[in-house]
Order: sequence, then structure tokens, then C-alpha cells
Amino acid sequence: MRAKPPVDAPVTRRQFLRNGARLMTMTGLGVAAGALAPRSTGAGWVWQIDPARCLHCGNCATQCVLEQSAVKCVHAYAVCGYCQLCTGFFNPEPNALTTAAENQLCPTSAIQRTYIEDPYYQYSIDEKLCIGCAKCVEGCERFGNGSLFLQIRHDRCLNCNECAIARSCPGAAFRRVPVDHPYLLKTTSR
Amino acid sequence: MLRPLKFIGALGVMLFVAMMVCAEQRFPPPDFESGYRIPSASTPAARQPWLQYADAGVLLAALGVAVWLIYKKRSRRGLYWLSLFSLAYFGFYRKGCVCPIGSPQNIVYGLFNPDYAVPVTVLVFCFAPIVVALFAGRAFCAGVCPQGALQDFMLVKPVAVPLWLEHALSVIPYLFLGAGLIFAGTGTGFVICRYDPFVPFFRLSGGMFILTAGAVFLLAGMFVGRPYCRFLCPYGGLLRLASLASKWRVRVTPEACTQCRLCELSCPFGAMRQPAPAGPDPEWLGAERKRLGWLLALLPVLVVAGAWAGSKLSPAAAQLDPAVALAERYTRQQTHPVQYGLMTPEALSLQRAAANPAEILAAAAGLRRRFDLACALFGGWIGLVIGLKLVALSVRQNRTDYEPDRGACVACARCFTACPNERVRLGLMPAAEGAAPL
Amino acid sequence: MKPQFDLFDRRQFFGVVTKTAALLGLAGGAEARGQTTANPFAYDISRFQKTDPKLIAYQEVTRWPLPHKEARRLAFGPDDQLYVCAGNYINCLSRAGGRGLELALAGPACCVAAARDGSIFAGLRDHIEVFDSKGGQVARWPSPDAKTWLTGLAADEKNVFAADAGKLVVLRYDRSGKILGRIGRKDAERSVPGFIVPSPFLDVIIHRDGLLRVNNPGRHRVEAYTFEGDLEAAWGKPSAAIEGFCGCCNPIAIAQLADGRVVTCEKGLPRVKIYSAAGEFESVVAGPESFPENARACTDLNDCVHGGIDAAVDSEGQIYILDIVAADVRVMKPKG
Repeated sequence: MRAKPPVDAPVTRRQFLRNGARLMTMTGLGVAAGALAPRSTGAGWVWQIDPARCLHCGNCATQCVLEQSAVKCVHAYAVCGYCQLCTGFFNPEPNALTTAAENQLCPTSAIQRTYIEDPYYQYSIDEKLCIGCAKCVEGCERFGNGSLFLQIRHDRCLNCNECAIARSCPGAAFRRVPVDHPYLLKTTSR
Repeated sequence: MLRPLKFIGALGVMLFVAMMVCAEQRFPPPDFESGYRIPSASTPAARQPWLQYADAGVLLAALGVAVWLIYKKRSRRGLYWLSLFSLAYFGFYRKGCVCPIGSPQNIVYGLFNPDYAVPVTVLVFCFAPIVVALFAGRAFCAGVCPQGALQDFMLVKPVAVPLWLEHALSVIPYLFLGAGLIFAGTGTGFVICRYDPFVPFFRLSGGMFILTAGAVFLLAGMFVGRPYCRFLCPYGGLLRLASLASKWRVRVTPEACTQCRLCELSCPFGAMRQPAPAGPDPEWLGAERKRLGWLLALLPVLVVAGAWAGSKLSPAAAQLDPAVALAERYTRQQTHPVQYGLMTPEALSLQRAAANPAEILAAAAGLRRRFDLACALFGGWIGLVIGLKLVALSVRQNRTDYEPDRGACVACARCFTACPNERVRLGLMPAAEGAAPL
Repeated sequence: MKPQFDLFDRRQFFGVVTKTAALLGLAGGAEARGQTTANPFAYDISRFQKTDPKLIAYQEVTRWPLPHKEARRLAFGPDDQLYVCAGNYINCLSRAGGRGLELALAGPACCVAAARDGSIFAGLRDHIEVFDSKGGQVARWPSPDAKTWLTGLAADEKNVFAADAGKLVVLRYDRSGKILGRIGRKDAERSVPGFIVPSPFLDVIIHRDGLLRVNNPGRHRVEAYTFEGDLEAAWGKPSAAIEGFCGCCNPIAIAQLADGRVVTCEKGLPRVKIYSAAGEFESVVAGPESFPENARACTDLNDCVHGGIDAAVDSEGQIYILDIVAADVRVMKPKG
């Protein structure tokens, strides 16, 4: 049975060692923080896909930790040719140039085709249906202007510390971007 | 003066013409006659930065409340509600990311990769619990960590882990920490995040493997208290070390210990330590000192041997890096071509490598050199950890009362109300007749 | 106090551990295996990149490089001289590629036509220049419009037809440079739907039956017009399969054989095909496998738009294919 040691007892060896270790650790942490903090912008980072490096492999649809991937196809309307036969919308051998499911490339029918005027049609993505598989992106880039591209949508992305899709991307297309400019949008064809 | 200007002007014109020539074959933007206006793509904003600062603030506040609950209020109930709040906020709301467990990787990544700047909030998440541990022990583990809270709530019937197993498994967190840090330092990835078994439950989705692992941990956690915290959590290993140097320690009771051992039974995590016999046993002192001496001399040998063994691991470890794996696949493809499916990631990455093989191979060679150093350091670290563990097992603790181990105690406050003296102090129990005066 | 073992003993514990490890291993293995087999979202056009050998009716005789880079069009003159537009030059070559006359132009040479009397009509981007058979400039016709982009020329004794991809019209000139009419402009009353030309490849030929043939790339068909601009017939369908015109805008060039059959050229899936005069698919001159550089531009650089081929037919029925990407001409003759 031992009562608490009185307050003004001499410092034991163990206590001295502990104090020393504590001081050294605090100093070390301070040095590390000092080395890293100045570089930090404070705004933080989010993940984004660089459309120039994307290889349209389909991993974005399957590798995201979320059930429905946070990656969606985005349309750069200013780059689009508004073609009647959109090679991102239609499969290579369409029976007719209609919106029948058999003619569409998209596995979930997520592209809406709207007539504007002859011969122009607007193609827009329904994000609720898009799975981010890049089939339309491949078709558009190969035979068209390349106005369809994949982007991480930040109203869905959890911003994992290590992005599971980034890890498996064959084109090394993922990189961290500042949270206040979280998109890498396409403005030209290539 | 004029000539450089003329040159620049000529260059500009050439570039413009070149662009026009390139643009020659692009599909021109249509001339809409019906008044259609070209829309622009929507850009939903990411989470507001001020919310990240709010998270850090909540972390600091929760740490403060935890310390107050453990040392001032000494309330298990308070800690229970705090950990429930932490599970809800840091677990299910923030989906367990970014969390202190993975943050040392960000620090190391930031130190060795100049193009990554560690956000201030991540610095707070990494350092705040350690600083608190240096003063008040593992208050983070008790009341703030959502993974710990989840395991705590899963605990149904605690079973004691045999001491030999406990000591053996307690080395694993340091191995995991070392592995996590070297992979972060080389820029390969964050393996601690990758193999966190509980975050998929917070996200309510995940791959088959990690969900199974998480389920196994949760089921094990029904009987073995906090299996992840004790045997796997790398940050727990850091907090354990920090707690060894803590200013204050968790006391079962501020009053005297009556050696009744009720607290020992109440600790589900095997953190309660028995008093050591008073004074060294003269019969064994010589042998004990000799053993300690041998172990201390063995320490540098273990470090060097570990470094050597670690460097042998380097080729295998480097394979985990996608850049190195791509270079390997490309090199192998030249001699033993494999037919990959159309547009599979493997086929596409090989196409990318074939476009510029020299760059890919040079990058991989640079990474392999980094891995050689990193793996040697990792091996040396393992040697050091094992050596220090052996030394720690041979060092005699001078303990007269039953008290929680500084490093192993997660400050869950379960032992407080198990102690009869504490119950008397709190007024939950009248003092026994004939009991020793407090 | 002895630690409690009442839930497991050591053997049971190890049994549990090994079973768990096996379960995790299985789950991990299943996950890893699923990745390398196939891409369910692959955009697969590989079946179109190989032509059925039974359909190929021509074989290559020879191939020779062009004198200049950035080739665009080629056409035959009345005496089997071959005129090639490349860079800012129009070269007159023999059928074996031997160099003859060279016309240096002020701008890019986009298209060319040679009439029976020896006049050479050089189509620059926005206007036409006329040369005599010795290479001396005879006339420079004014540009019809700022947006004009000439990509095809055809000439007979009285008319010169210029295909304008910029203004989506075929201009009919007389020999003095006066514009007699505009053919193919969108006109609902005359039931002319208009040309859709997303990329600048509009071509025109004067067919043996007295009508013009113009390709309409955006509508994937070849249209027949009278000289006055009435649309008489049209044939063609969009498809990546061999009978149709692939991609978003094909065919990009047309030529005719002595018996009136039409030769078509496509880019994206580069191929040269022969259709009957009525528009039925007959045979393939050269399929996508014959144009590796064009195909590489398509797959590796993701730049199918920049490809392109043109074709012309000599008096013996040999087909000369201009490969814009490879910058050469290959001569094809019928098999058998």
C-alpha cells in the first residue's frame, strides 16, 4: 500500500527519462510540422482525372469504393460537333440512327439525344444512369471530336486518402488538385 | 532591339498557323440557326474547406473532452457517450477519412515527395492525438477513434489473450507502421488506408476481401477486446510509445490500492499489470542482468541483420508500386508476350509503356533504388522493434500496486468502477466496516 | 492468476486462424482474378479492322513516296498524268511516280482537276487558279466567300465543279470563272437535304452517265445531282461493317471506274471499296489492315480524324490510292 508521492519529491530517473523523451518527441513533431506546414495551402486536395491521360479502360466503373462510382462522363459541349451520327452515342453497327437501345453504345442508356435543328443533335449525360465506364468516351475520341470525357464528381466522391481507382489506373491519369479548382475540364479536342 | 521582337513575332505567327493547320481537321463548332445556346458542363463543388477545419476543431474538442472525462470526471459513462458521438461523426458522417491512423503516411509522403503539400488539417489529425498521448495517455483511443469505438461496442464476452500471444502479436503494429511508411515514402500508396477493415462499414460499401476482413475483425472483437487496436493499428503503436512518456497516467483510483485484483478482471484488453515483487531476487539478479546485457548487445546485431534481410525484400516490395510493375510487365512482354484482353488495363498500360519505354524504365529504376534504401530501413526497424521488445520483456518494472500499463491502456475507464475504493470515493458504496482508513 | 482459456484452447485457436486466413485468401484471390480477363466495357471494333479476304478484289502492284509532305488529293489528267496536291505544290507525276511539272502555289494545294485541253485547275483553300499545260498561270478566279474551303474539283469541256466543304455546296463554274450555279444547297422545295460535312472532305466527280456524284459524309451516302442541282439519287448507309460507311463522316473521297462503278474512300477505318453504279457494295480494294499508319494514328494517337486517303483511276483501270498519313501512293490492280 503506497500513497501518492508528495509533490516536491525529487525527480526519479524514470520520470527524468520520460520528461526527456516527451520533450524530444514534441521537438521532433514541431520540426516536422514546421517543415511541412509552410508548403501547405490549407485548402486541401481532392482527386481528379486528367482527360489527356485517361485510357478509357473501364476501371472507373469497377474500382471505386462506392457502389455507384463517383466518376461520371462529362460533356464539353463547346468541343462537340453535334453530329447526327455521334460515335459516342451510337454503336459501330447501328440498325438505324434512332435512340433505340439496340443502337446505343452506352450500357445504361445514360446519354440523352435531343434534336436541335437539322442536322444537329445535342447529347447530354444523365448522371443518375452513368456508371463511368468510358465506352462513349472511347467512341467519341476515336472517331469524333473527343468532347466526352470522365471526371470525378465531387458531390459523390468521398475523397479517400488513397483513391482506389487512382491506384489501378493504367494511364496514371489521377492526380490531386486543389479543392477550390477540383475539375480538369476539356476545352479543346486533344 | 527590333530583331528579337521580329523573331518572336514570326514565331507567334508560325505557331498560330500551325494551330490553324492542326485545327484544319477538327469538326467545326456548328452554326446554330434556331437560337440554341451551347451549355457548359456542371461542376459540383467539393466539400467546403471550412468544413475540414471544423473536423479538426471537433477532433481537438473531442480530445479535450476525453481527457477531462478520464482524469477529472473519471466517468466510464461519459466516455461511452463520447465514443458513440465519435463513431457517428468521424465514422459514419466523415466515413472514417481522413483519420489519424493513416495520417503518418501523409506526413512521410509529404516529406519525401516535394509535389505533395500536407494539408494543415491532416497535420492536426496526425499530431494532436500524439501530443495528447504525451501528456495524458491514449485518450484518443478511448473516446475519439471511431474504429476503436466500433470494436468497443462489439465487445460481448471478453476473453483473455494468453500473455505469450499478446506479446508476440504486439509487434505487428510496428511492422504495419513500418510497411505503411515505406510505401508512403516511395509514393507507392497508402497501405494502411487500403487495409483498414472498418472504413468499408462506414462507407457502407467495399470489395469482397476487405468486407470479409472487417467482418472477421468485428466477430473476433466480440470476444477478443479491440483486436485491431492491440494487434494491428499502426497509430496505436505510436500512441503506445508516446504514452510511455506521458506526464499523467490513468489510475484505477486516486486512492490507495488494496490489491484486491478486481480491476485486473475488469480490463478486457489485458492492460492491467501486477505488482512486481519488492526488490530484485538476489538469486536471479546476476542471471537477469546478464540476459539484459546480452539482449542489449544483440540489439545492434538485430538492426543490422534486419537491414540486410530487408534489403533482400526490396525487389518484391517494389513490385507493389504500379510504375515498377508496369516496367516489369513491359520488359517481360518483350521476351514472353502475353495476350491481354482488348482494352484491359494491362493491355492499355503496355501500349502506354510502348510509346515511351525509356521513360518508364528509367522511372522504375529510380524507384527501385528508393525501395532498396526504404526496405533496408524497414528491415532495420523490424530488427530494432524485436530487439527492444525483448529488452522490454527483460526490464524489471518497479510496481507496488495493480495499475494499467502506460502503453497498453486505452483509457476506456472500465476499471474505475471495478475498484471498491473508487466506488467508495464516488459514493456508490458505503465504506466497509473494519476496512483500512483511506 | 492463470489467464482464462475457456472459449478456445490452443488447437482450436489455430484452427480458427487458419480457416480465417483461408477465407481471406479466397476472397482476395477472387477479387484479383476478376481483373485481367476481359474488359466488359471495351469499345470493340477489332472485327471491322480485318477484311474478309474473299471480298478483296485488288492487289498492290507498287508503292512510291510523294515529293512533298501534307498530301491531300490526287487526280488523273487526260493523258494519264497524275496530279498530286501536297503542301503548297501540285506535282504532275507519271504513273510510275516520275516527276514532271511542278506548280508552286501561294497557299496550300487542296484539290486539283485537269481538263482534256490541258488546263490545270488548282484549288487552293478559298479560290481556284488556272494553269496551262506548261505550268504558266492563266487565271486566278476570285474567292466566292470568306468561308470557302475547296476540297474537290472536277472539270469537263464546259464546266468546272468545285466542292466547297466550308459553305456546304458544289459550285458550278464555266471556263471563264463565272459561277453558273450552286448545287446541293439545302432546299426543302427541291427536296435537297443539304450536305453535312463535319470534317473538310467534300468530293465531286462527273460521272459517265452525265450526273455529278458528290459524297455527303455526314449522311453517309453518295448523291447524284444534275448540273442544275436536282437531286436524282442517293445511296449508302452508316455502318462500321464493310457494306456501310463507318464513323461519323464517310466517304471522304470518290472516284469512278471505266464502267461507271464508284470507288469510295473512308477514314477512321481506312478502306477503299467499290460499289456498283446503282450503289450496291461489290468488293474491297484495300481494307484497314493495309493502312497501318492510318490505323496507328487512330488507335495510338487517338486521332482518327487526322487520317485520310484519296483514290484516282487511270485509263487501264488501276486504282491509285493516296495515303495522307504515310505520304505515299500505291497502285492497285484487279486480282486474277
